[in-house]
Amino acid sequence: MAQHTVDQAPVPAPLGKGAPRPGSVPEPPGRLRRALRSVTPGPTADAGGAALYRRWWLPWLWMLPAIVGTTVFGVFPFLNTILVSFTDAKPLGGAYDVVGLDNYTRMLGDSDFWLATRNSILYALIVVPLMVMLPLLLAVLVEKNLPGIGFFRSAFYTPVLASSVVVGLSWQWLLSDQGLVNTWLQKAHIIRDAIPFLSDSWLILLSAMGLTVWKGLGWYMIFYLAALGNVPKELHEAAAVDGAGAVRRFRHITVPGVRTSMMLVGTLTGIGSLRVFTEIYMLGGATGGPGGADRTLPFYIRDVGLDPLTGNAGYGAAVSVALFALTLGLTLLAQRLTKEDEG
Amino acid sequence: MRARRLTRTLTCIAALSLAAAGCGLSGGSDDGDATAGGCKVDKANVGSGELSGDVKGSITFQTTNLKKDFGDYFNGVIAAFEKEHPDAKVKWIDDPGDATFTQRLVADAQGCTLPDVVNINVNTAIALTRNGYLLDLDKKAPDAGEPFVPALWKSSLYADASGTEVHSVLPWYSGGIVQTFNTELMKKAGLDPAKPPTTVLGLFDDAEKVARASGGKYYAFLANPQLRIPADWQQMGIQIFSADGKSFTFADDPKTVRWVEAMTKLYKAGGMPRDSLSSTQDPANVYGQAKLVYGPTNPNFLRFIQQNNPTVYKKTGVARFMLDDLGHTVGAPQYIGTASTSKNAVTALAFAQFLTNAKNQLEWAKDPNVVIFPSTTASLDDPFFQSVKGTDPFAEARKIVASDRKTATADEVALTPGELNAISAQIQLAMQGKKSAEDALEDAQSKGNELIEQGS
Repeated sequence: MAQHTVDQAPVPAPLGKGAPRPGSVPEPPGRLRRALRSVTPGPTADAGGAALYRRWWLPWLWMLPAIVGTTVFGVFPFLNTILVSFTDAKPLGGAYDVVGLDNYTRMLGDSDFWLATRNSILYALIVVPLMVMLPLLLAVLVEKNLPGIGFFRSAFYTPVLASSVVVGLSWQWLLSDQGLVNTWLQKAHIIRDAIPFLSDSWLILLSAMGLTVWKGLGWYMIFYLAALGNVPKELHEAAAVDGAGAVRRFRHITVPGVRTSMMLVGTLTGIGSLRVFTEIYMLGGATGGPGGADRTLPFYIRDVGLDPLTGNAGYGAAVSVALFALTLGLTLLAQRLTKEDEG
Repeated sequence: MRARRLTRTLTCIAALSLAAAGCGLSGGSDDGDATAGGCKVDKANVGSGELSGDVKGSITFQTTNLKKDFGDYFNGVIAAFEKEHPDAKVKWIDDPGDATFTQRLVADAQGCTLPDVVNINVNTAIALTRNGYLLDLDKKAPDAGEPFVPALWKSSLYADASGTEVHSVLPWYSGGIVQTFNTELMKKAGLDPAKPPTTVLGLFDDAEKVARASGGKYYAFLANPQLRIPADWQQMGIQIFSADGKSFTFADDPKTVRWVEAMTKLYKAGGMPRDSLSSTQDPANVYGQAKLVYGPTNPNFLRFIQQNNPTVYKKTGVARFMLDDLGHTVGAPQYIGTASTSKNAVTALAFAQFLTNAKNQLEWAKDPNVVIFPSTTASLDDPFFQSVKGTDPFAEARKIVASDRKTATADEVALTPGELNAISAQIQLAMQGKKSAEDALEDAQSKGNELIEQGS
């Protein structure tokens, strides 16, 4: 940030995040200012070292690829989606009309939309707590450097590397009526008739959640392994000396020690579980479960907005905006809860 | 099926992108302006009057993803053509035929650089004909249809810019359709492999016997209605769309209700795997595990099963596809189009006809690496298709399909993925007993109509 200070030192405007680049009202004309600055990179109070010799535009140059990338693939599509949501545009372009709030009115009155919203929220509510806790337990399990532990770490991480489609197919085989799970349960005389994992809409949804969790475990385990490394060993030793058992140490030392990571994992998996598509498709098929009952919001957006011939990109965009609002809402809620927790 | 849906989708992309570009496209007209689809063309290529002249000059010929496997065949055809017409030169290009094929081809056409002779599917044919990029064969070569199977030729009509249905393409090869079944399981279920069903509902009657006899060890076929819609309905003679194509009408036919009821009954009776109701399972694989009585209906599947499950292959029987009320099968062929923007249209047309003549089509069909059926009457009558040696299912299928292709038409109904999903979802609910067949069809129809409306 030092070079920033040099660059912006004479400007009275605030320098916080999102502040406009200075250079309009009280400034000398831009070219002159830049010329002055490039000639006299005079030292200011809090700049020093290499920063003194950098051109003012150098940091912008380094950031350019990221700025361009974010603008082209993030900011622009986002703003475009909002605009499109007020039109009846088609997925392939062409003429469109501005329809005002029609898409939003239609959305609120559409039972399929509400079903998809319910499924997405349920997905987040069930998957997030599991994703926050299970990988942590797994990380604690493989944290110690025991002989052969590398094998287990890799094994837990493997699902992360496998493609969603491959994993989905394996789960299809596991969960089908004559699949491994049903066969085992039947052989063990726990059940008589096969459990309809792949034909009952609730079970499809729950199985898909299981798939999401299983596939994500390894990834977040790595997060937690890194975080666990920062929990002081002395605390554990001291607690052990004082007679605290493993569970107690986990609750009072490990969990508080990785709290920040837990919040991060919670937010990331929350966003991820609102975007679920592949798992539902692999286990519930192209209709999103029998009767489309397992469709999540992204699935619904695909159905109404993306079909080249019968899609309505405007309506799809409106539902996308709703999905964004939902994601934002849940993220803010999570942050609020964290703060209250800390307070 | 999936490929067909995809191609339809792609055509739509193409058609819409044409609309987007705002091309006031017009076909060839008689007023002598000599343009086609916004491109300046030779006067002889448009308007009335037969195309005539010497076969000379160079043309480009584009196939779709065929160079890798059939290079020798096409080079042979080209060499033979060039030998017959020493002043003509054919430059062969091969398009990978990926998901953007139609889009790219339409873009080529708009840029007035459509290859002179080009291999296209139904949907590309629709898009190109509508905008006048293909020669109107009814005017330019009135005898062009002669070598082809009449039913196929008559149904290979597409609307030009004025909405008149014209012949703009020569039918080429197609995959065919055939019933396949596991004779051993059929006998177990008390069915006679020599008497396969001849109607769709007849198939369901037989399938119920399978359900009763199998005890859950094997099934008739997979449950997902997506695998049977809209083919079953079209075969049953159900009117799927209104005449103007702007709304669905399938729910208005009592036959559709009977079909949904048959699906529901069979599903409940255990004639279909319960977990296949909405799944993405491939029937070819399940059939290969000897768990299905009835296999997929494309002859190419027999090749697959021969290579992957020889035991099941040996037990496989084949029969003519159920003709039902429609009276013939449907199946869209690959087409060869001749560009109206061609600088050497006479040569291009001559090559298109040469490529699709009976001799050349037959030669390719004999290649052991393909399972394709020619569009020309003479090639289908060849001993290669007519004399079956032994009881090899594949050879039998070849004979059956060759005879079936003589009455098959090209006007196959296809749904967009969105329509297919919306309609199938409702049928699934009926099959689960959550809705009556009538209600499910009503809902399916109104959801389908919503999609048509929001897309139009």
